[in-house]
Amino acid sequence: MGYKCCWFNPGRNIKECPNIEEGEEYLFTSPRKRLVEKCINCKAFQEDIEQLPEESALRKIIVTLCEEYREQKGHLQSLSAFLTSKSREIKFLHELSLVLQTSMELDEVLSVAMTAITSGKGFGMNRAFLLMTDRDRKYLVGHLGVGPRNYEEAWRIWDEVDRSNFSLTELSKEFYKTKISSERAKFQDILEKLTISRNLKEHIFNRALNDRRPILVENASQNPDIDPELVSTLGVEQFLVMPLISRNRSIGILLADNFVTNKPITPRDVQSLQTFAFPVAFAIERASLYERLNDEVGKQAEANQKLKEQQELIVRMENMAVVGRITSSIAHSIRNPLAAIGGYARSLMKNGDFNEKKEYLEQILQKAKQLDEVLEEVLSYSDSIHPAIDCWDLNHLAVSVVAEMEERFEENGLTIVLNLDADLPQVWLDYKQIAYCLKTIINHAALTYPEAGTIEVETIGSEESVRLCVIDKAVTLSDEMKKALMTPFMETAELGQGVGLPLCKVILERHGSSFEIEDLQGGGTRYCIILQKQKEGEES
Amino acid sequence: MNRILIVDDEASIRLLYSQELMDEGYEVDTAGTIDEALGLLSEKSYSVALLDIKLKNESGLDLLQKLVKERHDMGVILSTAFSCYKDDFSAWLADGYVVKSSDMKELKDEIKRLIERKRVR
Repeated sequence: MGYKCCWFNPGRNIKECPNIEEGEEYLFTSPRKRLVEKCINCKAFQEDIEQLPEESALRKIIVTLCEEYREQKGHLQSLSAFLTSKSREIKFLHELSLVLQTSMELDEVLSVAMTAITSGKGFGMNRAFLLMTDRDRKYLVGHLGVGPRNYEEAWRIWDEVDRSNFSLTELSKEFYKTKISSERAKFQDILEKLTISRNLKEHIFNRALNDRRPILVENASQNPDIDPELVSTLGVEQFLVMPLISRNRSIGILLADNFVTNKPITPRDVQSLQTFAFPVAFAIERASLYERLNDEVGKQAEANQKLKEQQELIVRMENMAVVGRITSSIAHSIRNPLAAIGGYARSLMKNGDFNEKKEYLEQILQKAKQLDEVLEEVLSYSDSIHPAIDCWDLNHLAVSVVAEMEERFEENGLTIVLNLDADLPQVWLDYKQIAYCLKTIINHAALTYPEAGTIEVETIGSEESVRLCVIDKAVTLSDEMKKALMTPFMETAELGQGVGLPLCKVILERHGSSFEIEDLQGGGTRYCIILQKQKEGEES
Repeated sequence: MNRILIVDDEASIRLLYSQELMDEGYEVDTAGTIDEALGLLSEKSYSVALLDIKLKNESGLDLLQKLVKERHDMGVILSTAFSCYKDDFSAWLADGYVVKSSDMKELKDEIKRLIERKRVR
């Protein structure tokens, strides 16, 4: 019987063993190590064992031990590989979480997350999409897509990344600085198609979010639970739907697939991505809240600024009112003695007792008259002594206000047309306040005209009321915009924000009048100040 | 003879107006306060009352309301240093309105107009 292995040939030179390679010379001197590392897998060794008598207990023991050893070794190797991959993952997650923790800007967080998912140095998925729940929590909105759109682009991108030799953090920084906008634009069509209502309970995105678990979709085109439109949009058979949840709040969905390589997504990939999804969801939520907080702080600062301006205006107006009262008081104090001085001089002249000094009396009279004229002027221009409320002709008010404004408007190509009701009765109103409201509404309407146009101002009398309206043919307002116009500092993209119209509403309500915004047939908006007619016997 | 009541807190104005109106042939009484005016009104009847709106701590408008209610036969003219009140009150309660001036032609014309109106009635 000829044995092949060195164990059974004591005279054989061990150095001739074909299994021992360069660098493994230590095995020549350690038979134990040689046995477990080489012999146990050596074909010659196994054949030599099989040459032992079949009924030999030693042969059975050796074969069993060898099989057991090989099995355990395989298991150990697999565990070791698993540990290596896990430790790499932990290192990678640690690196990511450091970036995520320090980043407060949403786009920066998204850059880190999406780069990690799609980079070969990260999870190595070919493509990923992020959908985020909107503020009202009614929709899942396609927010960002990352990856190539086709094979050619895929190879080009991967080649670039390989050559750049950037670390994951460097890659995400690069993405944040130079690519996020273009990637968003690149996938805009897909992102729009991916957007869905949160009410579609059976949709796979909502199922993943509501059940708070990832769903790995296989054979998508054959799967009756998957919307065929979604399959056609993604163009892949296998994809992963990963919910992003932070503190019980549904932040959004991560979609990932390997649409270029078609490499299968394994349960282990799903598990790793799930571990990653927690800090990502938290970081996204924190960045979103931070962004919203910044928005609110900005609005608050703007509102404070406006309030400050309004307060300054009020103080200025109060100061002017004080000046007005002082002026009127002084004027009153002067007019009485002046009337007396002039009156007596006139009386003396009339009686003819001082004919030789007639010139002097004439001088007194002339100067008294001159001072009287100055007083009249001062009093006429002193606004503050105007009565608060009086009976006015609304047409007259409209004409005066329009005359004051039209020159400035003409420069911008805007014309104001008056359409006045000739039979309008006089109404009790505060001239200054109603004139202010009319000016504010006309100014507001003028802002909506993109170019030259005509604004109409009309007055209409009815049995109960008198209406003073401004017709703006440039813009038809939605209900939301109408509401926004009546709310101080509430912003609409189209109309801006401010306090003008809300202030008008308050003025008119205090005045006992009302302010309405109506749609015009055929497009446009009518702003109406509605003044109640004074009924007979009613006190003002 | 037509009798006229002048209500004004300024003595110089009371004197000037009474002189001028007496020269025109009217019988004139003057009052510096509302109480004085009411005292005179309780004793005599007047064709026209001339009221200053600002009477130290009182308002001629208070007296005006009382007169309009109780003295339908008497014309009331408001006389004030504030020309701007003219638009408000002339068409309201008083029968006439004049702004104080060294030239009393307007005042005299207004008195004549009211007396004439009374005669027509």
